[in-house]
Amino acid sequence: MSADQGSQIVNKKLWHGVYRTQLSWYPTINDDACTGCGLCLLTCGNSVFKWNLQEGMPLVASPQKCVLGCTTCGKVCPDGAISFPENPATFIRNVIVKYKVYPKVKEDLNEGLAKFPDHLVDSHGGDKNGK
Amino acid sequence: MEETKMASEFAVWHGINRSEINWHPIIDPNKCTGCGLCVVTCGEKRNVFGYDLQAHKAVVLYPDNCMVGCNNCQVSCLWNAITYPEDVDYIKGLARNIEKETIDKELANKLSKNPDLIL
Repeated sequence: MSADQGSQIVNKKLWHGVYRTQLSWYPTINDDACTGCGLCLLTCGNSVFKWNLQEGMPLVASPQKCVLGCTTCGKVCPDGAISFPENPATFIRNVIVKYKVYPKVKEDLNEGLAKFPDHLVDSHGGDKNGK
Repeated sequence: MEETKMASEFAVWHGINRSEINWHPIIDPNKCTGCGLCVVTCGEKRNVFGYDLQAHKAVVLYPDNCMVGCNNCQVSCLWNAITYPEDVDYIKGLARNIEKETIDKELANKLSKNPDLIL
């Protein structure tokens, strides 16, 4: 797949009705702090990172693939070398309010529950909240 | 059957037993408004949440499927109805305890399976 095809697929990606390309959320690596352990690349399930084999260091290759509000790579980074544009909760809150996503979230929820009916819970089935 | 498979897929985190890691969302049902954003934010692969149509609230069904270090559901909850038992320092502590050989092996394995990730 060429880079163009890849970016087309990414461009079409929606977050509860909002175009991903309208939103800016991605990790930034501080190369001075990074020790090149590779845990960020291992943790990310969206191929945001690539690996510079010569340097033995990760780089942010596909920032548009980053899950909105996700900071998992930053949390697991033992070196504290990864930062994000802003507080993730603030970022998501602003997106929710600006784009009024809840009607679409409800649609997505119903689709998800239709796809995974075992995730429908009967409130009379006992307390399963947390543990 | 499928859940068993999922649970085993996430049973070990970089050499550490997932069952020994205290990381999963906890929902305060008194704060949850039932918007469902946490349910759909959690990926289909891990699918930690269920949804109670009668009570109109999200519930945590599979806490051990929760990705270590991820709290995207908490971040997406405008009502602060989701908490985690530990914080980022706990996650960093875990990460620092991973054997270097384990990460090296996993990294080499991922790169050999996904050569497009190599620059």
